[in-house]
Amino acid sequence: MFLAALTPTDSREVSPDATLVNRLLHKDVAAFEQLYNRHSRIVYSLVLRILQQAGTAEEVVQDVFLQLWRNAARYDAARGPFVPWLLTLARNRALDHLRLKSERQRRKEDQTEELPPVTVAPEYEKQLDEKRRAERVRALLGVLSPQQRRAIELAYFQGLSHTEIAETLKEPLGTVKSWIRNGLLRLKEGLQATS
Amino acid sequence: MKNCEQFKESVEAYALGALDAEERAAFEAHLATDCADCTKDVEEARWLVSQLAYLAPEAEPSDMLKGRLMQVVRAEAQSSKQAAQAKQIVAAKRTVPVWLWAGAAAMLLFSVYSAWDAQQKSNQVREASQQAAQLLEEQQELENQLALAKRETTILTDPTSVKITLASQDKQTPQLEAHWHTELGIVVSGWQIPAPGSNRVLQLWLIPKAAGGKPMPSLTLRPDADGRFVLLVPNPPELMAETKALAITEEPVGGSLQPTTAPRWVGGVS
Repeated sequence: MFLAALTPTDSREVSPDATLVNRLLHKDVAAFEQLYNRHSRIVYSLVLRILQQAGTAEEVVQDVFLQLWRNAARYDAARGPFVPWLLTLARNRALDHLRLKSERQRRKEDQTEELPPVTVAPEYEKQLDEKRRAERVRALLGVLSPQQRRAIELAYFQGLSHTEIAETLKEPLGTVKSWIRNGLLRLKEGLQATS
Repeated sequence: MKNCEQFKESVEAYALGALDAEERAAFEAHLATDCADCTKDVEEARWLVSQLAYLAPEAEPSDMLKGRLMQVVRAEAQSSKQAAQAKQIVAAKRTVPVWLWAGAAAMLLFSVYSAWDAQQKSNQVREASQQAAQLLEEQQELENQLALAKRETTILTDPTSVKITLASQDKQTPQLEAHWHTELGIVVSGWQIPAPGSNRVLQLWLIPKAAGGKPMPSLTLRPDADGRFVLLVPNPPELMAETKALAITEEPVGGSLQPTTAPRWVGGVS
């Protein structure tokens, strides 16, 4: 499996991920292994895309999963599905590395870091197998102009701000803001339409 | 203070982390007013943004990463379990003196009436003492194991540890990975490692940089039934700065003072 299914919209149902994370609270090694098998590939793909270096990417992925193992209580299933939470954690970690933060500062942040609720699962969220989810997102963003897509990727994978992206692409700031917003709205509409 | 409508266009960019500092501060100030609508919009936008991860080209992490992680996780789970057991033993140990005193008092009392009975009580006291000593030994052993597990975990996760890949001559054989921490020692690990012949073990050697220096023998180990190989060397016989390479050979049980076979794995220490 490449990606795990996300939490269903019906909050009364408990997702397999939430059950596994709950078992981590009791230091259940088998539950950890299952979570790793389900999600390590998308986490690694994301982190590698951001860092572009396999060795460093593996270090960050190790860090992310160890944080999950040691601090499973930080994930609150009632506040949103697990996979987006995990991906947000991984992206933040990778961007921290990208920005060359000192190890001491990073550790200090580890101790105090509180991830925001990644999300209430939107109404149009459905369980999808991992491959279909990836195909759907790629198809929806594939229709954007190369520059528009590039702007979104610079923001997501490199953590650049509007102004930094405008400077990088040598485009007006207002144009960059519109590209990013319209691109994300298009993705949202596409997800709603295909749900 | 702006109202919600004025922030609607910033929601996705905020979730993406693309707002410039000033805009972000203004939006966060608005969120701090407990605006339920904007808070919900931001949470949904975060979910939307997380979907961008699927734009990353598919890539597979190495088996070594999983092996390393599982090793740390198993060690920590074991540590938790042992810590709980140690706690129980300490609690049990505290109750032993009461037993001893009660046993001794009973023995003295009954010995007046019966030498045989006294002998029985004496045996009970001796058994209680032995039990207490055994509990203490078990506790000590658990504490030692706990310390080793913690050391192993730290070596594997500490960013100052140097990672050394030990490649095999035989491309079909999985490589080994060593993590060398200057203060805590070396952990060599590998998965799906073929077992050496019967009465044979795998032995670690430290190859010195000095010209003509002989390989320094280190610890030996056999992979377990699943091919898992994890060797902790708390006190390496050489300093990292003076070591050119790590090597592993197959040796008789008990190890050798000099390698008797060609290295099966070698990795340079950078």
